[in-house]
Amino acid sequence: MNLQVLESQFWSLCLQGVALGFIYVLISLGYTMVYGVLRLINFANSEVFMIGTFATVVAQVGILQNQTDSQSLHGFRLIYTLAFALVFSMVVCGILGILVELVAYRRLRALGAKPLGFLISAIATSIVLLETTRIVTFSRPQTSPRLLDKWSFGEVAGANFRIDTVMVIISGVIIFFVLDRFVTKTRLGKAIRAVSMSEENSKLMGINLNRVVSLTFFIGGLTTGAAAFFYTTVYETTQFNVGFNLGLAAFTTAVLGGIGNLRGAFYGGMFLGVLEQFASAILGSQWKSVTVFTVLVLVLLLKPNGIFGEAVQQTRT
Amino acid sequence: MNKKVQRSLAVVSAAALVFGVSAVSSATAAPKSVSLAFQAPLTGSNALTGQDELTAARFALSEYNATNPAIKVELVIADDQGLADVAALLAPGIASNKKIIGLIGPAFSGATQASLPAYKAGRLPLISMSATRVSLTDRRAPVNGFPIFKRVVANDKFQGPALARYAVKGVASPSVYLVDDKTAYGKGLADYTKPNIAKLAGSDSVPENTSDYTSVVAKVKASGANVVIYCGYAPDAAKFVKALRDGGYTGIFAAGDGVLKATFPNNAGNAAAEGARLTAADVPFEDVATPAQMVAYTKLTGIKVPGSYVTSTYNATNIFLACIKQGIVTRAGMQNCLTNGSFKGVAGDTIRFDRYGDIIGGAAVGAFTIKAGKITYLGVA
Amino acid sequence: MFNIRDKGASVWESWSPPARSSFVLIVITLVALLPYAGNFGPTSFLDTPISSYQAVLVYPIALFVLMGLGLNIVVGKSGLLDLGYVAFFAIGAYTMGIMGTMTSLNTWQILPFGIFFAMLSGLLLGLPALRLRGDYLAIVTLGFGEIIRIVALNLSVTGGPNGIVGVPTPPAVLGQKFELDDHAGYFWVIFIMILLVIWMIRRFTIRRPGRAWEAIRQDEDVAALMGVNLLVYKLWSFTIGAAVGGAGGVIYASKTMFIAPDMFTFNTSILVLACIVFGGLGNIWGVIVGASILAYLPERIRFISNARQLVFGLVLLVIMNVRPDGLLPRKKREKIREKQAI
Repeated sequence: MNLQVLESQFWSLCLQGVALGFIYVLISLGYTMVYGVLRLINFANSEVFMIGTFATVVAQVGILQNQTDSQSLHGFRLIYTLAFALVFSMVVCGILGILVELVAYRRLRALGAKPLGFLISAIATSIVLLETTRIVTFSRPQTSPRLLDKWSFGEVAGANFRIDTVMVIISGVIIFFVLDRFVTKTRLGKAIRAVSMSEENSKLMGINLNRVVSLTFFIGGLTTGAAAFFYTTVYETTQFNVGFNLGLAAFTTAVLGGIGNLRGAFYGGMFLGVLEQFASAILGSQWKSVTVFTVLVLVLLLKPNGIFGEAVQQTRT
Repeated sequence: MNKKVQRSLAVVSAAALVFGVSAVSSATAAPKSVSLAFQAPLTGSNALTGQDELTAARFALSEYNATNPAIKVELVIADDQGLADVAALLAPGIASNKKIIGLIGPAFSGATQASLPAYKAGRLPLISMSATRVSLTDRRAPVNGFPIFKRVVANDKFQGPALARYAVKGVASPSVYLVDDKTAYGKGLADYTKPNIAKLAGSDSVPENTSDYTSVVAKVKASGANVVIYCGYAPDAAKFVKALRDGGYTGIFAAGDGVLKATFPNNAGNAAAEGARLTAADVPFEDVATPAQMVAYTKLTGIKVPGSYVTSTYNATNIFLACIKQGIVTRAGMQNCLTNGSFKGVAGDTIRFDRYGDIIGGAAVGAFTIKAGKITYLGVA
Repeated sequence: MFNIRDKGASVWESWSPPARSSFVLIVITLVALLPYAGNFGPTSFLDTPISSYQAVLVYPIALFVLMGLGLNIVVGKSGLLDLGYVAFFAIGAYTMGIMGTMTSLNTWQILPFGIFFAMLSGLLLGLPALRLRGDYLAIVTLGFGEIIRIVALNLSVTGGPNGIVGVPTPPAVLGQKFELDDHAGYFWVIFIMILLVIWMIRRFTIRRPGRAWEAIRQDEDVAALMGVNLLVYKLWSFTIGAAVGGAGGVIYASKTMFIAPDMFTFNTSILVLACIVFGGLGNIWGVIVGASILAYLPERIRFISNARQLVFGLVLLVIMNVRPDGLLPRKKREKIREKQAI
């Protein structure tokens, strides 16, 4: 137990927890969107995230030719580079999401497989993605150059409002807001919700089921790709095995908030991010995951459908 | 059984052919031949360590073969991925191949521990180039390597104190924060570093592959430490030191041999790693080898700057070869030769093993720092 | 689709009881002689690059068949998705490791303790977790698997990351020694355990618990309405599965003589689950076939060491796409019932 750290670092831990939470939220959307529609755990999402982190590095180093030891960028060049990497990572992950659905889900859906069949084929897909990346990168960590100079807006109560932290939080809010509007207001979003309420009925209503499912995977991929970009920008390094821990945290996020529930995922992520920070600060980093899972079990015992319940359609309309 | 194992090992030893080691195609060939096994991670996340070490073993063997010796030596390469469970599966196969009279490795302590039962049963002498866990040569440990295990690398008992000493060198009123990575290696080194720290501000264990170190940074700052010692591997150390610097920590960052990788400064972002103090249970090969040797090494392997543990692997291989030169072709003979013999290291040092397998007098611990993004050797710590 | 499982079942049902018994005896004898297959024909093509055919037969094949059968009770029979099965395996292994090195008890005496502790932890986890619905159960069990590993990593009694070394091997039984090279002995021990588990599963299947599990698997709500006590029967299946995992863990620890936390990762849970889904969920023969193939494959193709996991993933993916219900799926009539239930 180490409570002394709370005296000076309480708000700092909160802020870092929230920033981390936003990354979790964005990845968890890849789980929660798919679960909402198909009632299946998209196990390959963690590796989609992993590919996204590499896509970010490729965009910055490979395509835009920023050298690993280059100076940080400023002004238009900086915004252009970051925006390009963000869009590139999102598109790569979005397309990868569609591919994952095609390879791991489409045929099994046509054959009417049981949920476990989907689970194994999704895990097989993630093994393929993981191992391919491992072989291609020789298991070595890839570093993204420090393009964003990490200046600070200033400290409030010991919490350091650094540019990358602020950027993650603001962009996270924007992306989340846009997605929420998309799902509730647009025609396609309504189609997704219709399918999540009843697959059979929505087919009768003339909704192209396969297209909606692809769309769901695409959107899940987009947010996961955004998370991958933010992750790479904040931590500036990635490795082939980065997906497991992050994916597990994101999955926990989704479950905490009520899997399938967008806004639930949001609060779940905030809660988890802050919880992790305090658990490692007070109990020691080695007990972090144990604390997280103990809390998860307790939450599920009290609220068996997650904090905010899982009925997607109800909370959204 | 023997034949079967040999055949299955042929796949791996085929690689040795490429490097000009003449494989024994028929038993009728005039010169006698024996095999040495080499066990290290060649794939997986620790592949780099093993691949670097393999260059040294091949280099030593190529030097030996150039002398046109009476006894041919073949290298059997075994990839344990640095994992205990893989090693436990792999060891019985090697142990039952009687043509192998010595094993260079295993590279990792956990893998060594897991393979010891099989090698003990087969009485196969081992010389490890990078297994630094103290218990392997500790006679009080429940499972030590006695009598077959030897090593040419400084164990944590030497490196821990050296790291603690070197980290605080020249620091006025040092206060140390100790972080390990919860791996067998990191925890082991931390356990032997801790008693040698005069003022411990705090400690934490952050499991491998953690991406977010901000809570540890918060703790380091809250504790007011001005020296941080990290016991773990390079990829995590890179993330940690970067988080420390970004979090406004300005003190010293020190770490053990797991971090001493040419890629570390780059992965940490050169600025964050600058000035980091690193120790190694080994000294750099280019500093002890002759220029002619370096040229030959580069020619054989294509590598200009040798990686970590090249010196120790080179020494380990040469010790085996020295015994073979004396005409030894059995495991028992090799065991006897290693226990009683006296050998020359590449630096001109004399290597003799004590009863439990460590070098008498202890292997050298090198001290390094990072200058302008390059790992720079300072001398013996 | 052609279903070998149904063909086999109909042939089986057409036989008379004596024919069935003699068939079973012949199969058991043949399997028991597997370690000596080398005397009757070439087996070297079955050797993996790092170990001989006899060694592979024990670990991973027999052990994974055993664990697959255990997990099959949980996942296949009663439809509870357990993603942390490795936890029970680890508990068995650590019971063996700790008691084997600290007390003078031998493997056979520790085996009941290993099974007991695994069952106890299954009960303690199951009591809260089994109230949850499928996918939540999945993450809670996944978390439990990780927790056991992390606790083993953090405590000193488990040796932390160093693990426990010098776990004793079993003492000889009826003259059969259990040294490092006595693969046949280990094979027979695990084979006897496998037979016991199969016998147990078959007894359960035709009795009350089996019917209750079947009902729970097909539709929980209906089962509850029909008066099946969900929690009790779920707990039964969960703890019995845990017991099998624990027994496997004890034998594994005693065989490798060394255990460490990184042997008990999520990957093992996934591999066992993949074995039973790959072979055919809920079906003993499917589990045996699936576990034999999936446990053996990564070892056999070790010579392409760098790409072997990739090949494993690709094979798994292709098979799941071609036969989503596994190689030997459940009986057709069960499937028809399932469809109707939906």
